[in-house]
Parts: sequence; structure tokens; C-alpha cells
Amino acid sequence: MKFLDRKLVIGLSVFYSLNVTAIVAPSVKGDLSKPSLDETIWATAKEETVTLMAQPMAIPRPAETATAQVKVKAVHNDSWIAFRLSWEDKEKSEAGKLGEFSDAVAVQFPVKDNKSPPPVFMGMKDNPVHIFHWRAQYQIDKEKGKREMKDIYPNMNPDMYPMEFKDEGHLTGLTDEKREIFSHGRAAGNPQSYAKAGVDEIFAEGFGTSSVIKNVEAVAHGEWQKSGWTVVISRPLVREEGSHLKVGEDTFVGFAVWQGGKDEVGSRKSVTMQWTPLSIAK
Amino acid sequence: MAKVKNWQINREMEYPYEEHRPKKQWAIVFDLNKCIACQTCSIACKTTWTSGKGQEYMFWNNVETKPYGSYPLAYDLRVLEQLGAQEWEKQKPYQGKTIFEAAPPNERVVHFHPKDEDWMYPNIGEDDCTKNVPAGDHLELPHDKWFFYLPRTCAHCTYPACLSACPRKAIYKREEDGIVLIDQSRCKGYGECVRACPYKKSMYNPYTRVSEKCVGCYPAVEQGKQPMCVQNCIGKIRVMGFINPPWKAREDNPIDYLVHKKQIALPYYPQLGLEPNIYYVPPIHADRKYLRQMFGPHVDDAIERYKKLKEDTKTQGLLVLMGGTDKIMHSFKVNDRTAFGYDEKGEEVVSSPLVEPLIERPAFDTKVGAIRNNTP
Repeated sequence: MKFLDRKLVIGLSVFYSLNVTAIVAPSVKGDLSKPSLDETIWATAKEETVTLMAQPMAIPRPAETATAQVKVKAVHNDSWIAFRLSWEDKEKSEAGKLGEFSDAVAVQFPVKDNKSPPPVFMGMKDNPVHIFHWRAQYQIDKEKGKREMKDIYPNMNPDMYPMEFKDEGHLTGLTDEKREIFSHGRAAGNPQSYAKAGVDEIFAEGFGTSSVIKNVEAVAHGEWQKSGWTVVISRPLVREEGSHLKVGEDTFVGFAVWQGGKDEVGSRKSVTMQWTPLSIAK
Repeated sequence: MAKVKNWQINREMEYPYEEHRPKKQWAIVFDLNKCIACQTCSIACKTTWTSGKGQEYMFWNNVETKPYGSYPLAYDLRVLEQLGAQEWEKQKPYQGKTIFEAAPPNERVVHFHPKDEDWMYPNIGEDDCTKNVPAGDHLELPHDKWFFYLPRTCAHCTYPACLSACPRKAIYKREEDGIVLIDQSRCKGYGECVRACPYKKSMYNPYTRVSEKCVGCYPAVEQGKQPMCVQNCIGKIRVMGFINPPWKAREDNPIDYLVHKKQIALPYYPQLGLEPNIYYVPPIHADRKYLRQMFGPHVDDAIERYKKLKEDTKTQGLLVLMGGTDKIMHSFKVNDRTAFGYDEKGEEVVSSPLVEPLIERPAFDTKVGAIRNNTP
């Protein structure tokens, strides 16, 4: 089974190498530390179309490709680099309720060697990748705060939650920290259970190994219109202990898109089958 | 895919990981003839584990009325529907496909994915009978109009589908007791376990944005105590212990005795291939065709054996020990009049007479100066 998969992947890689596009990030003036869809910033960048296909390696995977291409523009200002990513998705999905998933996009860079990156499928042991992962759901966290149960289910009426009393009476010393014990993910310190900054920064050494970085420096903003999403992900060129990019040098970048409305999440995603060359112009 | 031995379907089957049985395997036996759906187990579990935000409709233990009840909505029928009709002739290994074997190449298992509305009615179908019972009707065994209660926890399967489907390997099966847990710090809430578990005992918490499941009350089990749902069962219909595979079964182990030796307790939906470790003494009154679909082709024999228990003091003794102690019984013994249960060290933790002694008291209580009556 595994052998067959690999053969398929090699075959497809060859096919896709014929169609590969290089992304050139021109230098622009302007503040990229705030994500902006403003045309003036993006006017000089050439839009490239990057081909995606259903993630073929790790099971479970999508039965068919939900997002066949993502349109990419990139610019930098000598200290930050920003990507503008657009793809078609007629259904806006922001997750929240049971069985709902969020639309999302990710940009991936090699960490150790910009010239010879690890496997594009999320890196390998001792040769990690640095991923910037935006989710519509995380954007809500950033803009409106992490949603409470009342926000997700406005009509639900629970009697009470543990240690939450209208009048605490003599029970002083009831703190949110004590109440957290009843929320297992939060009690365990899982970053998924706390408000996100709009975009996650992640290190990975292969499928299933992703772990989020605590101090997120990247910023992102997405907007959905009838035909789909346009998301800007902006990051410093140099990230401590992560991906280092240099003006005037070439490197590689990878992309992934999730359509929440098609139940895509985790390993169910459309991905680039090989690294896309990225030139950071002087 | 590895080839693993699944004794419940009596053959080898495909599973993504190698066969690796834990040192001990957590298991519960439920006597469905005694369950009254009082939901004390559900509440015991809920107050212990799932009273927090995002767990409002979450029941790690639930009791549903069969055939119309289910939580989430029609989970079992929809999984069986996905799997399609399969063959299992009595006296033969299961000839059909398990959910692992029937999976398309891009999935770990054939499954259905419950949505929000499927989780909204935890006690739908409660007490719904298959037909109306007209006045003056009488019933014979099995009943032509019937329902029965099915209490369910996670089955801490030998071959968990949830574990097989997690792309982050955030689910693990404990070596010491076979309890299957979701690592609350590693889970990213992809919900693959929710999709994959055919019994739908992995549940997503929309507040913490990670998935959760029955933890088998492992802190109690580590102290030699039975889970809260078992301790609090007022009908005394359950017993938790450790089950061995049939080739290592011990005559004096309560679970081994009921499942392997006496063969009156059966796993539910064994054909799905997970080797679930909750076992049921099937209800004697319900439709046999339905029971065969749920418990496999040996259900008729199990019911016949159960009906003859009045001639079997040993099994009677074991059944009266159920609900008699909070501690885990590792072995038991029955003599003419009394049954005894023992812990791991062999120390007695419970004893119970096979028949409660009959005490006759005079009708008039001279101490309080009142007439006694038999009103309970």
C-alpha cells in the first residue's frame, strides 16, 4: 500500500514539476507588520497560480481535491514578507459547533537549509519545517475573543457550570483557574483551547508531529467574498529558531488549503505536491 | 495493514497497527435483563467528568432504549448501513468485512460522521415500544412487541477505531489496564476519532476545541476500584473487571467466567471488528433477529444458557456479587450458600448469600405498639 502511494506521488511530482511556478516577492515600501489587502501594497507583485491536490500520503485523506489551485502574491519590505493567498470556496466555514470545521490556509518554509528543503510533506525527523497556519476560526478569536458557549449555541440553557454561582456567598477564592479544572483541554494547557492570535506558527517534522510555537510574531487577516477567500499572512523575514529568509536569496515555500464546508481538517486538505521556488528580490 | 487476531469474530483481520494486548484489559459486563434505564450511571459519570463548558450534551455513559433510542442519532444503524449487509454463519468465523477491511483506500474505517443535530437528543426514543400493547394483550417469550435498555460506556476496544484514525497519534491504549485515552494536551480537535468510532464514544468539546471520551475512571481503577457508573448502578446490573483473551481465560475470574466459560455475556456489534470490551447478557424477551444483528450469531445460545441459571449456583453466585462492592473483583468463589469476591491480592472484598435469608416477624410490633405491614 505504502509502496503504491509513493509511486503515485513520484509520478505526480514529475507531472507537477512541468507546471511549477516560481513566486517572486518584490520589495515594497509600507508596513507589512499589519496584514493588509490594500491594492497599493500588492500592485507590483505578479500573481502566480499554484496547483494543489488532495493530500495523498497520510490516512485519512480527502477522496478528491477540494481546492485545485491557490493564487499567490508575495511582497517584502526588507524586514517582513507577506503572502496574499486567494482560492475559490463558495461556502464560508468558521467552525464552532459539533461536526463543523473551519476554512484554513497554511504557508510552509524549510528551517535548516533554504536551498535544499526536507520533504514537502511537513518535513522529516531532525529536518523541520516552519508553518504559518491561518484559520477563519482563529481570526474570530483574534477579533472577537474566544467564543463562549453562549456565542456558539445562543439558545442553549445550561443550569449552571461548576463553581459558577450567582452569589458566591462565603465561597470566596473561587477563581477562573479553579474552574478551568472542569475544562480538560484548558487544564492540560492545550493551546487549541485558548484564544488564538489569528494565525498559528507551527514546527513539524513529518505528518502528525506539528506543535505550535508560543510566541507568535506573524500576523494574518482574511476576507471572504462570494467566490472565496483572500488571506494575507505576513511574517518577519527572520524568525528566532525558525525559518530565516534573506533578501536577494531564493528559497522554497509550500501551501495547503482546507475547506471546512467539505469537512476538511487536519490531514484532509489540498496541498502542493512539491516545493514552490520563492525569490526574495532586492 | 497488519494481521491481528480478533477472537470475537474468530479470525484474523486487518488493523493499521500490530497486535499488542495490554497486561490487563478493562472490561464491564452488563446484565440487560436487569437494567431499568434509571440513568443513575449517566448522572454518576456526568457529575464526575462532564459538568464543564462544552460538555452540556456530552454523555460518556448513556442508556438508550433499543431499538428506537440512540445517542447520537441512529449511530449504529448508520454505521451498519455504511458497512452494508454482511454474512456470519453460526459455527463459522465471521465471513463479512470489518469496518477496517471495508474502508476505502483514503480512510481508516467506513464510518458516518455525526453532525451537530445528531447529538442534540441524548435520550430520544426513550421507552418507545416496537408496537402498541392493546388492552387485554398477553406476551410470550420472546415478546412480539418489545424494547430493552442498552447502557453504554466506551468499550476500550482491543482494536480501537478512534486510535487508528487519529493522524496525530494523540490517542493511546494503556499498557497496564487497556484503557484508551485521548491526550488532552496533544489533541487538535480534528474529530477523526469522532468520525471513526462506530459506537460514537469519542465526542468533540466545542469549548476546549479538542475531543474527549470516557476515561474508564482510571484514577479509581488504579486504586483497585470500579468506575463510577458501575459503583453507582442501583440495579446492580454491572460488574467491572479485567478480561483475558479466551486462550488465557481463568475460571475464577468473574469477567472471564461470564464471557468465556459460561458464555452468557456477548460483545455488541462484534462484526465491526474492534474487539470491544463491554459485554452484555442479552435480554431474553427481545426480537432474536435484532439481537443477532447486535450481538452476533451466538446470542440464542447465550439466552438459553441464561434461562437455565436456576440450575447453576455458581453463576447465580457471581450474579449476586455484582454491585456488592466498589472494589474490583479479580476472582470469585461460590459454595452451596454463599458467594465470595476477592481483590488482586486474594483478600476477600465481598460476600453475599445466594438467597437472602427469609425472616418472619410477628404482625404486631410490641416495641412501637404498631401493626407491621409489607408495604416496602
